[in-house]
Amino acid sequence: MIAKIRNFAERPGGFGILFGIGMFAFIALAGILYPLFGPYKADEFVGDSFAPPSWAHPFGLDQLGRDVLSRTLTAVPSDIGVAFLGVTIPLAIGTVIGILLAFVKNRFFVSTVSSLIDGINAFPLLIIAIAMLTVMGPGLFNVVIILTLMNWARYARIARTRAIVVMQQNYIEAARLLGYSRKKIIFRHITPNVSSESLAYALSDFILVIIVVSGLSFLGLAARPPAAEWGAMIADGRTYIGDAWWLTIYPGLALCWSAISLSLIVEGLSRRDRGNS
Amino acid sequence: MHISTTGGRKISGNRLLRQLFGRFLRAINVSFWVMVISFMMIRFSPGDPAIARLGGGAEQAAIDALRKELKLDVNPLQQLISYIVDLFHGDLGTSLQFGSDVFETIQRTLPLTLTYIFFSSFFALLLSIPIGVVLGWTNKASLVYIYRSVTSVIIATPNFFIAMLGILFFSVRHNWAPVFGYIAEFPQNLKFLWLPVAINTLIMTAIISRVLQSSVVDTKGEEFVETGIIRGVSRPRFFWYYILKPSMAPTVVLMSYMMGTMLGATVILETIFTLPGIGRELVGAVLASDYPLVQGILLFFGIITVLLSFLGDLCAYLLDRRVKL
Repeated sequence: MIAKIRNFAERPGGFGILFGIGMFAFIALAGILYPLFGPYKADEFVGDSFAPPSWAHPFGLDQLGRDVLSRTLTAVPSDIGVAFLGVTIPLAIGTVIGILLAFVKNRFFVSTVSSLIDGINAFPLLIIAIAMLTVMGPGLFNVVIILTLMNWARYARIARTRAIVVMQQNYIEAARLLGYSRKKIIFRHITPNVSSESLAYALSDFILVIIVVSGLSFLGLAARPPAAEWGAMIADGRTYIGDAWWLTIYPGLALCWSAISLSLIVEGLSRRDRGNS
Repeated sequence: MHISTTGGRKISGNRLLRQLFGRFLRAINVSFWVMVISFMMIRFSPGDPAIARLGGGAEQAAIDALRKELKLDVNPLQQLISYIVDLFHGDLGTSLQFGSDVFETIQRTLPLTLTYIFFSSFFALLLSIPIGVVLGWTNKASLVYIYRSVTSVIIATPNFFIAMLGILFFSVRHNWAPVFGYIAEFPQNLKFLWLPVAINTLIMTAIISRVLQSSVVDTKGEEFVETGIIRGVSRPRFFWYYILKPSMAPTVVLMSYMMGTMLGATVILETIFTLPGIGRELVGAVLASDYPLVQGILLFFGIITVLLSFLGDLCAYLLDRRVKL
């Protein structure tokens, strides 16, 4: 086992990937375990307002005397969890649509759907999310719905482009000649080869979506202030930044920590790709 | 008519025009869909715009009246047609908050946003070129490693957190930049704008210089670079024509894309620094459920992005004729 990991780490980009996975696992585990076993609740008043970081409260206390460490870690599911759903659901839907689109022969239909996809992709994700929240009202659940409705288009485009290339490969031709059913060809032979590229994109999209989710909360459009969420906490602490920097800096660092852990993995994977070619 | 290209291949003028025209048509086509989407977005989202505006406890008569004013009482297809007809008359509707024309509101707020996006992109390009070319050309492993680590930290940090750090250091600790407010006159406005522009520039530089650096590394491996060295081309000429120009195409495409993304990011920066740009207008409109204004701004954002990507592809093509339009 250890030898295997060492071997993995020594290949190009391996160290970065492992380090990134470690960082990500750390914050994810802390976010799951802390609310269960931690000494304070996120919305519990435990001491003086604006108490600076100390041994008892390493991240200090906020304007209402709530423990910033507890709040920062309790926010993990609403940030990383929401972003995770906002990536995986569109990934699945978009990939299926993209692959099916690659099979369609009708040129008019294909060009209409492709320009619809381009049209959706023309809007910055943050903007479209903000606009849709006008009607749907703020809330993290609505953010997931919006991400599902809008983000599939990027995955559909990637999957379609890739599927067209894959379909021309010899092994697909071979599968066809062997008389495999269309369903089997799509699911057993095309989908795995298409999804590697989509997954690579999904990983960097994850970073973007975490930033979008926390950005929306920062604007007061996703998680609302009493809830523990990094963007909302930063927005909340903004007023007191001159006197109590710990209200903004720690949730911000947690945000950076998660984004950087993912970007280490992305970077490592792309280095591995280059190293192999 | 023949136009010879840098690569020595020849493309007939007709084909060039046809390609350009094709790309242009695609941009128009996508713009059409952008229009349809910005129309549908709000109408087909779960929830009712009129109720969102008036609140759940509003009287049915008031809701019906607003629905009529927003032209929501007819069937969707008729709505779409009247929306498009109005659009060609330059009529984007009336803001529910201010009672003013949506188009005028956009006209008032967009220039500031575009100005500082333009300046951020300009400075970012100015910084990225030396960084990308020097690091790409020397490609010294340790240096590149440090550079890639630093830039990936910058990219992974949300812009509002960078803005918070900026405010903490430059406004709270040193009082070099005002925390909020804005004066719309020339010399004074620089005091308010430099920090947001610097933050945007930092983020864009990190992204753009990375792409430029790796495309310089790719260019270095091309045969014409060797030819340039053997022919003894002068240094500045060598770096300009043999290294930078062929490496710029992906960078320009990325830049046009980035400017679109920046447009999205301005919403947050403008809210933090209270700049009276289009992004803050959008947030205000959303919070007030001012749905004609939201729809209008959404349309503008979409069209600008399509336009930028068209221009980006065009510039890339002019820089490197091997690029497919």
